[in-house]
Amino acid sequence: MQSRSMLSFDVYLVGATLALIAIGILFIYSSGVTSSGRVFSTEYIRQIVWAGTGMILLFATALLPHGTARAWSIPFYIGVIILLIVTLAFGRVVNGARSWLGIGGLGIQPAEFAKLASILFLALFLERAGSAVKRIPTLFAAFAIVALPMALTLMQPDLGTALVFIPIFLVLVFVAGARVRHVLYIVLLLGLAGVLTVIPAWERQIYEGTIPAVSVLTRPQVLTMAVIGTTTVLFVGVVGYVATKRRHFYWMMYGVSLLLVALLSSIAVRQILQDYQMMRLIVFLDPYAEPRGAGWNIIQSITAVGSGGFSGKGLLQGTQSQYQYIPQQSTDFIFSILAEEWGFLGGLVVFALFLLILLRGLYIVLTARDTFSALMATGVVALIFFHFAVNVGMVIGVMPITGIPLFFLSHGGSSLWTALVGIGLLLNVHHNRYHY
Amino acid sequence: MSGFSPRGGPAPRARIYAIAAIMIAVFVGYTAYLFSMQIVDNYIYTERADRVARRSVVLPAQRGEIYDRHYDTPVVTNTESFAVYVNPAEISSGQHEEIFNRVAEFLDIPVEEIHEEIPPENYNTFRPTEVQAGVSFRKVTYLAEHAREFPGVSWRSKPSRFYVEGETMAHVLGYVGDITPEELQVLFNRGYTANSAIGKSGVEQQYDQLLRGEPGRRYRTVDASGRLVEESSREDIPPVLGNNLVLTLDRDIQQLTSRALGDRIGAAVALKPATGEILSMVSNPSFNPNQFYGEGRATAFTQVSLDTFSPFLNRAIQSTYPPASTWKVLMTTAVIEEEVFGLEDTINTKGRYRMGNRVFHEWRESGFGELDIFGGLANSSNYFFWTMGVEHLGVERIAEYARKFGFGTTTGIDLPGEKSGTVPDPEWKRRKYNSPWVGGDTANLSVGQGFLGVTPLQIANMVAMVVNDGVVYRPHVLKEVRDQMTGEVLQTVEPEVLHSMDVDQSTFDNVKKAMRQVITDGTAEVVITTPAVESAGKTGTSQVAGKEENWHSWFVAYAPYETDDPEERVVIAILVDAVNDWEWWAPKAANIILHGIFTNSDFEESVAGLREAPRPLWYM
Repeated sequence: MQSRSMLSFDVYLVGATLALIAIGILFIYSSGVTSSGRVFSTEYIRQIVWAGTGMILLFATALLPHGTARAWSIPFYIGVIILLIVTLAFGRVVNGARSWLGIGGLGIQPAEFAKLASILFLALFLERAGSAVKRIPTLFAAFAIVALPMALTLMQPDLGTALVFIPIFLVLVFVAGARVRHVLYIVLLLGLAGVLTVIPAWERQIYEGTIPAVSVLTRPQVLTMAVIGTTTVLFVGVVGYVATKRRHFYWMMYGVSLLLVALLSSIAVRQILQDYQMMRLIVFLDPYAEPRGAGWNIIQSITAVGSGGFSGKGLLQGTQSQYQYIPQQSTDFIFSILAEEWGFLGGLVVFALFLLILLRGLYIVLTARDTFSALMATGVVALIFFHFAVNVGMVIGVMPITGIPLFFLSHGGSSLWTALVGIGLLLNVHHNRYHY
Repeated sequence: MSGFSPRGGPAPRARIYAIAAIMIAVFVGYTAYLFSMQIVDNYIYTERADRVARRSVVLPAQRGEIYDRHYDTPVVTNTESFAVYVNPAEISSGQHEEIFNRVAEFLDIPVEEIHEEIPPENYNTFRPTEVQAGVSFRKVTYLAEHAREFPGVSWRSKPSRFYVEGETMAHVLGYVGDITPEELQVLFNRGYTANSAIGKSGVEQQYDQLLRGEPGRRYRTVDASGRLVEESSREDIPPVLGNNLVLTLDRDIQQLTSRALGDRIGAAVALKPATGEILSMVSNPSFNPNQFYGEGRATAFTQVSLDTFSPFLNRAIQSTYPPASTWKVLMTTAVIEEEVFGLEDTINTKGRYRMGNRVFHEWRESGFGELDIFGGLANSSNYFFWTMGVEHLGVERIAEYARKFGFGTTTGIDLPGEKSGTVPDPEWKRRKYNSPWVGGDTANLSVGQGFLGVTPLQIANMVAMVVNDGVVYRPHVLKEVRDQMTGEVLQTVEPEVLHSMDVDQSTFDNVKKAMRQVITDGTAEVVITTPAVESAGKTGTSQVAGKEENWHSWFVAYAPYETDDPEERVVIAILVDAVNDWEWWAPKAANIILHGIFTNSDFEESVAGLREAPRPLWYM
């Protein structure tokens, strides 16, 4: 056993984190300056404060004795769930979602912390479950852990944040050893259900034509027949499998049930989602279908990014951002300012820093001392990666608008603290590696 | 923990590598995408970014002013007025309804109009939408002082037209309105845009190209809310001012004519036969074009449009009537020139004229006894001209003279919508009614009844032909085009021969003599009392189907009868429609107008002068 000094932190991780935070503050400042040079927003100062306190949290988390995270995972989880419920009851409505809890100007978004809490609890559960994770009931139980905060977040309603719980769950059960076909089933199911959900709206708003095959989803009679048909085939598959235990009956069940469940859930989701929410999900396919409505954000964002060129227009020189064309410039669309003012090179720098953090995170996973630590670190990596992929994808116009912030860069205390505590957890795992 | 690698730690290497692979794939994909956006397609987005932020603002060109022939004070000016805009994106969500109601109430317009202009799907649109034009400075001041109560409301100066003479010159001047999609389709290539104002009738329409000028553009860079960020580097294109127009109309004569006609439905034209310049042109009922600008314009417009007496109609050129006895001037010319009836020859005119089994009744039951051609015209004997037309000239020759005088074709006056009228002949009747020409038709044609249709302006031109001894100049209302800034004359309208007739000089001298006798010894003797000028003319009273007691009342005259200076001659033609109570008003109005013109007085002075004349005014 090696003894490590407090200064032996992973310099790559801490360095990349600090670099991203610094870049973030720079562009939050840029977003708060008008073209005439007037600073109209002090968001960057608050971000500095949050970054300072966040760094303290980071080091505190990193220095926790081994086992603390495991010991506190359940109380932390319960505490966050209570906070989520309290938020639903007494929270403040910001941007249409009751997601804020706080007094006066100070407030937190409990849903951000719920992501970490779920990672901890899920890691603990999966460690205890061991190889039982290969069984379907275990997967259901594991899913229940993320489903609870996810449902509470959906009720705010904050679709984007709620979606984050799904990749956390998938990656954790995958790394914990779940069967590939089970994980694949869930991925395919989600993908298929998602596509089936938005296709009617896509046909109406973006394709603006009629595709005969889509009538399966839009015309009730045809839909009923499709459901009855697949149910029948599924029944045949189940009977066949029980009777013969033949392999192909299993895959038949696998495929048909996938179709049926995706179909049914897409119907349910279409009932829940409002038209404007649906539009936000698909408008990235053709922002000009609603250039002044849902497409506005995307058009302004990709215009800013694309006009940035190789080295950008220079800090504070971006026209799209400085003329306030981009909405939520300091939070969800921070990357579009960066891409406009620092260009392709700036984008590459940010990509490289994120990739460094993520790959370093995965290295820490590989060197983790125990299963819990490995899973916890995996969860943090998955969380950061998902945020990155969805946020940057949205900004460059290849992902739906979901309102997920870009960790480290986006303005906002709760998400910054979550990210920094996440890095702290990675450092903690790294700090306590090889302790056999 | 079978899935976990024993070496290095408990995590399953293969699966971690799989995750790493997915992550790297995403990073590579995003990098490639970013490269294609920022490097490959950079020019597309750069262009788009410039376009988004650079707005061009139209700098309206001041429309030219319009003057009467004296070129001292304008009869059409531009007045300061404002258009109010609502920018829905500057109103907080949920407040649109409330703000719209407030704006509508303040501007006194139905709130539905705002909802129509700005449907809910545009509530996030950063685009100021015009909700009302012609708003007064007073109201805009109130808006400015209470800006907080009117979020998203802005205004812009939008000069509107002011017609100094109001109703008096409405038909000649016309009015200006927003361009319609149909007009835009036709005029798009001439630089009009969807926001152009365009002349809708009269001079405003006819000379829109001269008046409108060329709008300029100012380029500015704006932020998302449309606020000015900086003046753009791109050079502004200054507007080109519209030209001022000087009309041939005389404001005083116009007023005199209008007052003399009073509120009777009809039309009156005064022109200079020597040049074709229109001195006055009045049509009743009229409208006040000023009510089409500013508050309540929509209802005012609807009201005028739906009026049963069609105030928009310029009856002097856009309406045709049977010329009745005024036609006898043309007949007299034909009879003398064709030498079908000697100047000394007479006819015993009776009360009835028989044609086969048809009987035509003279307007005086007893007839007039023996009449030569001068007496025939002076007494307006129908019997005389029935005989002339049916027995001496024949339809073909009458029609030929009618065409030579310019009837059946437009006069080419520089005002839109002129009617050509109708000159009937056997060919025309066969084509139109598929029935043969009969003797009765010739009889009707001989006294200006039947199928004949003429405009008051054409009747004025007929007399101009006589006055000018066989030449008619194209009637026109435009005298000069002047630069709006410097007043420099850019273009002068020269007289242009419209019709000329090869007729013996003595013929016209005799026609003039006959017309003079109408005033001195004939039908107009009792009403033309003015001592100011000697005139010559012809009355007319035309039957209208369905009206037994009322007739169209015509009078056409020129004065002075004899002069050394043809420039001072004036021809006036007046029609008072049969829908008015019968007062034989046309010659009475002419008396007042002639006296007014030649004593240089206005309506009241003219009437007062006539009352004190040797033969005092007896009819009012």
